[in-house]
Amino acid sequence: MIETGIPKLDGYLHGGVPEGRSLVYYTYPGVAGDVFGMQTICHATSNGILGVYVASSTDPQMIRDQFSEFGWATEDYNGRFIVVDAFSGLIGADSQERYVVSDPEDVNSLTQCIKKVMEEMSEPGIIVFESLSTIMDLCGESETLDALEEWSQYAMLYDHALVYNFTAWPYSEETLLHVKENVCNSVISVGGITGDVIFGQYFGVLKVDWTDIARKSTLFKVLKPGGIRAYIPKILVTGPFDAGKSTFVHALSNRAISVDRLGTTIALDHGHVDRKGFAADIFGTPGQERFDPIVKLLSGEAMGIFLLLDSTNTTDFKRGKRMLEITESFGLPVVIVANKQDMSEALTPEEIRRELDMPANVQIMPAVAATGEGVFEAFETLVDMVMEVD
Amino acid sequence: MAYNLGIPKLDDLIGDIRGGTNIMMIGPPMSGKEDLINIIAYRGLVDRDAAVIVSTREPGNNVLEWFERRNLNISMDRIGIVDCVTRTLGFAAPDTENIKMASSPVDLTGIGVKISQFFEHFWMEMQLRETRLCINSLSTILMYSNLQTVFRFLHVFTGRIKAANALGVYVIEEGMHDAQTIVTLKQLFDGMIEIREGDDGYQIRVVGLTPKPTPWFDYEVNGVDVVLRG
Ligand SMILES: Nc1nc2c(ncn2[C@@H]2O[C@H](COP(=O)(O)OP(=O)(O)OP(=O)(O)O)[C@@H](O)[C@H]2O)c(=O)[nH]1
Ligand SMILES: [Mg+2]
Repeated sequence: MIETGIPKLDGYLHGGVPEGRSLVYYTYPGVAGDVFGMQTICHATSNGILGVYVASSTDPQMIRDQFSEFGWATEDYNGRFIVVDAFSGLIGADSQERYVVSDPEDVNSLTQCIKKVMEEMSEPGIIVFESLSTIMDLCGESETLDALEEWSQYAMLYDHALVYNFTAWPYSEETLLHVKENVCNSVISVGGITGDVIFGQYFGVLKVDWTDIARKSTLFKVLKPGGIRAYIPKILVTGPFDAGKSTFVHALSNRAISVDRLGTTIALDHGHVDRKGFAADIFGTPGQERFDPIVKLLSGEAMGIFLLLDSTNTTDFKRGKRMLEITESFGLPVVIVANKQDMSEALTPEEIRRELDMPANVQIMPAVAATGEGVFEAFETLVDMVMEVD
Repeated sequence: MAYNLGIPKLDDLIGDIRGGTNIMMIGPPMSGKEDLINIIAYRGLVDRDAAVIVSTREPGNNVLEWFERRNLNISMDRIGIVDCVTRTLGFAAPDTENIKMASSPVDLTGIGVKISQFFEHFWMEMQLRETRLCINSLSTILMYSNLQTVFRFLHVFTGRIKAANALGVYVIEEGMHDAQTIVTLKQLFDGMIEIREGDDGYQIRVVGLTPKPTPWFDYEVNGVDVVLRG
């Protein structure tokens, strides 16, 4: 198995792409699907797998620069990162690469070069195509589809995995259907949530023939540096006055701001978290009752909720429960954070569960927001719960 | 949602251009189309719209300089440039606030992603509801990709302009393409800004946005003012 390195996706694919199989990132135009192939090859090569990148619309040197903008240093991969230059020939430039396609507009010329590199690879590896759609544009739709079959057979022979970035421009229905159904062992759709503009991006598995299909989709965001992150646009942090919500948001976030006055939140806290392949925007609410209308406003479209409690302040626990109601979060994943565990009179999570009369399946996790202790554990628990919901 | 070109007499004649309109600007080389398209973008900034400019002929920095040199009282955070040139010249320039780098004019996937990112940014983060997309020029893109490919690309993006109620303006060099190419592309546009050589300099008119074409006008560009005569 060769992992894709895309958060969540390897789980959906039962570990990644098996040797000799193929995968296509089938991308809606305007969505950053090209980064998927880039991340997959860098993940593989940095794990010691031989990687070949077939460049069709970018100068090979620029490709290395593009990768390094994401923080992926291709020169550190000790020659395990090979570029097939199917670009220079197009603009009549010289190439420094070992593998050069003399005429990128002729699919046979491309096939020749790809076969050669497959033969010469010293061990099974992964071949990633920067843009299958560009190849199709240059060489013709049916010609390219025929060639794909040939490449697949060859790859199977040598146990190489094939990965394509494909932008689903309005080609003929037949071509699109063929790409979606026939040419690859798996198809990952990379789409956009559209309205007036593209508001968000997601991916999901359309087809996979080596395991059961996971009918789930994951929102994502592209970070530079960083690459693809599974993304949660809104996680709410609520709870009674002085429970430590603002402190929690700041402890969790790579960067955060608060709209406070005299130490109490009067509007909101906002933070951005980027951790272990997952990114999220976190919104902290005020705690004082006079701001309840703001709490309600802030909670729209939240995908998960932290309820922060000051574990020493039992009198406010009821208020905590009440705040969950204000957020109208019924049915959403909730993690209760038993904060201020550093204080001697703090109740344990189990004591809090009894006080609140919460069923056993509700997550109550200990934390000290002031030092950051426990905050990431709480985050990972909630992210898991949000990602499991469809 | 309504737009004006920022070309006085013509704007009076054609009235407000409704959101979702796509316009081809066609004329001979060196006839000042570059100034005109920047002026259309500039007019947007004056009207508090956002402007996304796809530059295939000049590095993004030059386009920014065009605006800076004229000392305009506009806020630069509403300009987004998709630069298809700098990286083909071999410069490893990173993206900036105003400029996103595409790999090359062949990289239609990348160009499309950058356009969409600017649209999302202006809509979501800056809450701007009117955006202009200026592509300068389709002719360069057509040098690298065949007509069918460019048609598919435009089919998607003229559609996005409609969905976003934006205004799209696309520059074409006259004389660089065969008649069939122009006819094919015309299907995608609601109207045209035409430029031709007159006896006394260049002339401009607008076709397709009013029942009858506007008359031809001699014109001159002065900074960000287009002065029409006749
Ligand atoms: N001992 C201890 N103090 C904490 C902890 N977390 C927060 N505090 C303190 O609790 C007080 C309130 O923290 P905030 O983060 O402002 O609380 P909040 O919930 O945002 O408060 P409001 O916005 O006013 O509702 C501050 O003095 C923090 O320093 C913790 O884990 N342990
Ligand atoms: Mg606060």
